Amino acid sequence: MNQLIIYLFVSGWAVCSWAQTPTLNAGDYFGDLKARHIGPALMSGRISDVELHPKNSNILLVGAAGGGVWKSQDGGVRFTSIFDQYCQSIGCISIDPSDPDNTYWVGTGETWTRNSVSMGDGIYKTTDGGKNWTKMGLEKSDRIASIQINPKNPNEIYVAVLGALWGPSNERGVYKSIDGGKTWNNLLFINNTTGCSELVMDPTQPQVLYAAFWEFGRTAYSFNSGGLNSALYKSMDGGATWKKLENGLPQGEKGRIAVSIAPSNPSIVYAVIEAKKKEEKGLYRSEDGGNTWTFLNGDFALTVRPFYFSRITVHPKDPNIIAKGGLFGSISRDGGKTFKNLGSMHSDIHDVVFDNNQPDKVFVATDGGLYRSLDGGSSMEMIEDLPVSQFYHVSLDNRSPYYVYGGLQDNNSWFGPSASPGGVEARDWELVGQGDGFRVYPHPTHPNIVYSEMQGAEAIWRFDVEKQQLKTVKPYPLEGDPKLRFNWNAPLTTSKHNPDRLFVGSQFVHVSNDRGDSWAKISPDLTTNDKVKQNQEASGGLSADNSGAENHCTIFSITESPLTDQVIWVGTDDGNVQVTKDGGKTWENLTKNITGLPANTWCYHIEASVHGKEIAYAVFDGHTKNDYTAYVYKTVDFGKTWQSIATTEITSFVRNIQEDYSNKNLLYLGAENGLYITLNGGKTWSAFTNNFPKVAVHYLELHPTKHSLVAATHGRGIIILDDVRPLRNINEGLLTKNLSFFETDRFTLPEKSNFGGTAAENQFVGDNPSSNAKISYLLPKRHTFGKMTGEITTLNGTLVSKIEVGKNKGINTIEWGFNANAPKVAKGKGFSVAPPPYVTAGNYIVKITKGNEIFEKQIEVIYDSSSSFTLGERAQQQQTTAEVFNMIQDLAYLVYQIDQWDATATAYKTKHTKADKYVDALRMDLTAMRNTLVVTTGDNYVGAAEDELREKLNEIFANVSNYFGAPSSSELANITALSNELNKAKKQFGVLQETKIKALKSLLEKDTEIKNPEILSFDEFIKQ
Amino acid sequence: MKKSFLLLATIVCSFGYYAQTVEEIISTYHQTIGGTKWDGIAGMKMNANVDQGGMKIPVEVVMLKDGRMYTEITLMGNTMIMQAYDGSTVWTTNFMSMEAEKAPADETENTKRAAKEFPNALINYKSLGYTPTLLGTETIDGTVCHKIKLDKKTILAEGKEVPSFEYYYIDTENNVPILTETEIQSGEMKGKTSQTKYSDYQEVDGVIVAFSNTSGIKDGMTQTIQFDKITLNPKIDESKFLFPKK
Repeated sequence: MNQLIIYLFVSGWAVCSWAQTPTLNAGDYFGDLKARHIGPALMSGRISDVELHPKNSNILLVGAAGGGVWKSQDGGVRFTSIFDQYCQSIGCISIDPSDPDNTYWVGTGETWTRNSVSMGDGIYKTTDGGKNWTKMGLEKSDRIASIQINPKNPNEIYVAVLGALWGPSNERGVYKSIDGGKTWNNLLFINNTTGCSELVMDPTQPQVLYAAFWEFGRTAYSFNSGGLNSALYKSMDGGATWKKLENGLPQGEKGRIAVSIAPSNPSIVYAVIEAKKKEEKGLYRSEDGGNTWTFLNGDFALTVRPFYFSRITVHPKDPNIIAKGGLFGSISRDGGKTFKNLGSMHSDIHDVVFDNNQPDKVFVATDGGLYRSLDGGSSMEMIEDLPVSQFYHVSLDNRSPYYVYGGLQDNNSWFGPSASPGGVEARDWELVGQGDGFRVYPHPTHPNIVYSEMQGAEAIWRFDVEKQQLKTVKPYPLEGDPKLRFNWNAPLTTSKHNPDRLFVGSQFVHVSNDRGDSWAKISPDLTTNDKVKQNQEASGGLSADNSGAENHCTIFSITESPLTDQVIWVGTDDGNVQVTKDGGKTWENLTKNITGLPANTWCYHIEASVHGKEIAYAVFDGHTKNDYTAYVYKTVDFGKTWQSIATTEITSFVRNIQEDYSNKNLLYLGAENGLYITLNGGKTWSAFTNNFPKVAVHYLELHPTKHSLVAATHGRGIIILDDVRPLRNINEGLLTKNLSFFETDRFTLPEKSNFGGTAAENQFVGDNPSSNAKISYLLPKRHTFGKMTGEITTLNGTLVSKIEVGKNKGINTIEWGFNANAPKVAKGKGFSVAPPPYVTAGNYIVKITKGNEIFEKQIEVIYDSSSSFTLGERAQQQQTTAEVFNMIQDLAYLVYQIDQWDATATAYKTKHTKADKYVDALRMDLTAMRNTLVVTTGDNYVGAAEDELREKLNEIFANVSNYFGAPSSSELANITALSNELNKAKKQFGVLQETKIKALKSLLEKDTEIKNPEILSFDEFIKQ
Repeated sequence: MKKSFLLLATIVCSFGYYAQTVEEIISTYHQTIGGTKWDGIAGMKMNANVDQGGMKIPVEVVMLKDGRMYTEITLMGNTMIMQAYDGSTVWTTNFMSMEAEKAPADETENTKRAAKEFPNALINYKSLGYTPTLLGTETIDGTVCHKIKLDKKTILAEGKEVPSFEYYYIDTENNVPILTETEIQSGEMKGKTSQTKYSDYQEVDGVIVAFSNTSGIKDGMTQTIQFDKITLNPKIDESKFLFPKK
C-alpha cells in the first residue's frame, strides 16, 4: 500500500510539476490567430471525383485533387468545405445508398497520377452528413480509387486501393468490410506494383463486381503505365472468387482500364483499355456481363493519356449514352460507336456524372474546376464557388495592399490583391502567363513588370502589365552548350541586390542583369547529371507521355542571400546542395555534409537567412522515392555542417521553410499536410490549424513590412496569416503573467472608403484583412469565470469606446475601428443614424479589466503619411464634426424635455378634462415643435416622412465626420442654417418654459398625484 | 492514511486519468452551474449594452421556462421587440415598416419544439428525449474540451424534417461549455456551422451563468454580447411576448 501511495504521490506531483512548467510549444498559444483564404476560384482547380445524392438533386459532393471535400445543398450554386481537418487529396467519394442524407465515405489520395499529385492517408466515414468524420483504416493505401457500398447492406463495403505511386506497397487491391469499416479483408491482391484502379458494383446484384487492376509507377524522372499484371476481373460472389475477363479484350501487356456498368441494363458493361497495340486501345462493350467483348472505338478522345483520364460513365436511364473523361471529354449516344466532344469548358476531364433524377443535368470534373450542364453536356457553365486552386509558388510585392503572384497547375499565372473593396473577387485577378504556371515575380521596383513562366521553362515571359507588352526572355543554349535541362517547375527568381537581375536554373545557374534580355551562365552543371535519369522520351509506358513533367537532374531552388549578392545557394532535384560565396565564380557541393539524408533526395527549397550570410535552411522532399519523411536542416557555417531540425511532430514530408525576419527561433514550415510553426528554432513544431486545412503547402513567403505569412497551397489557393508579430513576441516570461500585451506599431487611421464589391451570390469572395487597429495580448490560460471587459480611453481616463476582448488561451487580438462613441440622437419615429466619429491622432489607453485586475497598454494613432489632407484641413473637419456632434446631442436633449413635458401635460389633461386652456395650448405647441425637430410619422423605407432637423443634422454629420478633409463651403453653409434652426427651437422652448410650462407647473403644485417631471440634467441625460 | 490515499487518488483522477462517461460529464456540468437550484428558476432576464461601433444599444433578453422569450432593443430612443415567442407565435419587428410580422412557420415550429429546453438542451436531455454522445476530446482555442454531440431529434427546414444536432464543447478543467455549434439547415447559409462561444461565467443567486456570448459563423465575423445584469425569476410585462393585434 505504501508503495502505491508513493507511486500515486509521485505521479500526481509529476503531473502538477509538468502542468506548471512554462513551455513554448507554439500550438498551445495560437489562440485566435486565424488564417484567411483569398482563393481565387475564378480558375478553380483540379476536381478528382463528383458524387450526387441518388434521390435529392440538390445535394452533391465534390472531391478536389488537393482541396478536400465540398458539399452543396442547392444543386451546385454554393459549396461548403466539410473535410478541412483531414487529408485534402481526394481519390473518391461514395454516398451510402441506404442512408444518402447522412453517411458518406471518402477515400483519400487522388488517383489521377500526374507528377504533382498528392497522396492519401486512408478511408474516412461520416454518419452525420459531413459534420464529423472517423478514419476507418487503410492508412497505407496511399490512394483509393473507388468505394462501393452494398445498397441492401450498408455494412458491406468494397474498396479499390490503387496503392503507392512512387514505389512498391503492399496495401493494394480490393478490400472488403462486412462490419461497416471496422475491419478490412484484402480480397484480391496481385503484387506490390499493381493496384486496383476501378471497382464497380452491379446495382441490382451487389455480389457482382468488376475490378480493374493497373500496373504502374513513377519516379522523379520517369512514368510507367502498363504491364502483364494489368487486367480486368469479375466476381460473382461478393469478392470471394475472381475471374479474369479476356474474351474479346486485348491480350498481353495492358495499362489503365476504365470500366462501367449501365445502370438501366447491368448486362451491358463498357471498358476503355490502354493496350500495347495502338489498334487495340479504346472502348470495348460487353452485353453479357463481361463474358464477351466487342471493340467499338479507338478515337483519340477515348485513348488519350489513360493515367490521367480513365473514367467512363453510363447514363442512368439509357445504356447507349456514355460519357468518357479525356482531354476535352466526350459523349456517345449510339452505344459507343461514335463520340463527340462535350461542350466547351476547361480541358482535362476526370469525371462525368449524370443526375439520376434529371439525366440532362450533368456535372463534369476538370483541371479547372467543376462544370454543370443542364442540356446533357452540350453547353457547360462553370461553378464559381470552389476555391481549390493549386498554386506551386507565391511571391509578393510592396504595394499597399500588397499583391500576390503565383502560377497554378494547368491554370496559368496570375497576380491579385491581398485586399480589395468588398473582398478579393474573381475580377481582381490578372492573367500573366499561360499553360501550367509556376513561379511569378514582380520586378522589385517596377511592379508593372511581371516575370512568369510555363512548364519546363518552355517560355519565360517579361510582361509589362501597364503597356500590355509581352516578351519571351528565357535563356537559350549558346554554341557548345549541352541541351538545357529545365525542371517542370523551373527556378526563376529576382534579386534583392539588383532590381534588374533575374536568376533562372537549368542544370546551370543563368543570370541576367537586364531583365532577361541577355543571360550569362555563372555555374557549371550543379546536378549529378546522371544520364540514366534523363531518358524522358521513353517515359509513359504503353502510352508515351513526354510532357516535360519528368525532366530531371535539374536545379530546383536558387536563393540569393539577402545580405550579400556574393552568396547564392542552389538545390537540385537529384539531391545536390551547392553554394557560391563569390557570386558564382566557384561553387562548393555541400551534399556530403548533410547527415541522415538519403542520397539523391530532392532539395525543394533553401532559405538563406537574414540573420547571417552563413546561415541557411534546407528542406528535402523524398516522396518521389516513396519516402514521406520530413527532412529539415539548418547550417550556421556555410554548409560545412547541418543540423536536422525536423521532429516527429511533423507527420508528412515538407516542401518549404520560411524564416522569420525578426525572431530567429520562429520558423514556418510548409508541409504536404499543412503549415507547421516552431517558436524554439525547431525543437518542437506545431501544426497550425486555425482555419488552415491540412492542405499541401508548396511555398511560403513572409511580407517584410506587413508581417503577413502567405502560403501557396496546392488545393486551397492562397491562405494568409495577416500578422505574425504576436508569435514573434511570445516568450516564457509571459506565461507566468495573467495577461501580457504585445508591443504594437503605431496605428494608421485608414482614410479609404469605397462602395464594396460586385461579386454575384454564387461566386467565391476572398476575405479581406481587417483595417482596424489590432492590439494583441497573451493569456496563459483561458478566461472562463468572472468578468472580463475592455475599453479604449484617453490618457486621462475618459472613455472613448468599449471594445470586445478575446478570452482564449494564447494570443488574443482586440480590434478597434478607431471610433469614438456616437452622439446621442433625439428620439423620433424610425431610425436616423449618426455614425460614430473617428478619433484624432494621438495616444490612447487600451484597458482590460479581468476580475479585479486591470491591464493597460498605451497605443498611438497616427494619420496616413501619404494622405493629401493637411493638418489644418483636419482641424477644420474635427472642429466642425464636434460642433455638429454637440448640436445633435443638444437636439436630443431638447426633444427629451419636450417629450417629458408633453407626457406630463397629457397626464394632467387626462385627469383634469376641463383643465385650463393653457394645458391644451402647451400640448399643441410641444407637438408642433416636435414635428419640426424629428420625424414622427411614416416608416423606414419608401413610406418615410420628410426629413426634419434630426435627420438633416445626422446626414450632415455623417458626411463631415467620415471625410478627413475640410468640410466644403456648401456643407458649412448647411450647418449654419441647421444651427440657426436649432437655436430658434431652443429659444422657442425657452419661451414656453417661461409661459405655458410655468403655468402648468403652478397647476401641478396643487395636484397630489401628478408631479413635475424629473428632468435629468444634460450630462445625466447623455450618460443615461 | 485512508483519507490521504483518497485525497491523492482524487488529485490524480482530476488530472484526467479517469475517463468520464457522457452522463457523468453532463452531470458534473450541471452541478458546476448550480444543479437542482435551476429547478426553481422560472425564467431569466439578461440586460446588456451592446456597443455597435460606438453606438450604444440597450438589449434585454427574457427567457422563460415555458419557452416564451423576447429580445428587446432600444435604438435611438425607440424601444422595440426584435424577436419574441408568445407560446404559439414567433414574431419579429420589420425594420422597414416597424410593424410586427410573424416568423416563417418552420421557425415557429422549431421554437415550439425547443420550448422546454430552458436553461439548455444538454442539461435537460433526458426529459426532452435527446441523446448525447461523447465524441472524445478536442482542443478549442488552446483549451481541451469534451466534445458532446446532442441528437435533438428533428427540426423543420424549408418544410422538411431534418436531423438536428447540437455540439457542446465542455472545458475539461472547468466543466462548463465554452462553445456550442449547430449546422445551419436552411437559407443561403445552409451547410455552414453556427457557433456561440461562452465565457465570463458568474454566480447569480446560487447558479452560474455565462455573461459573455460570442456568436457567428465558424471562421467568419462574430458579435459579442456582454451582459451587465442577469436577473432570475424576473417580473415581466407579459404583454411583451404577445404578437401585437393590428
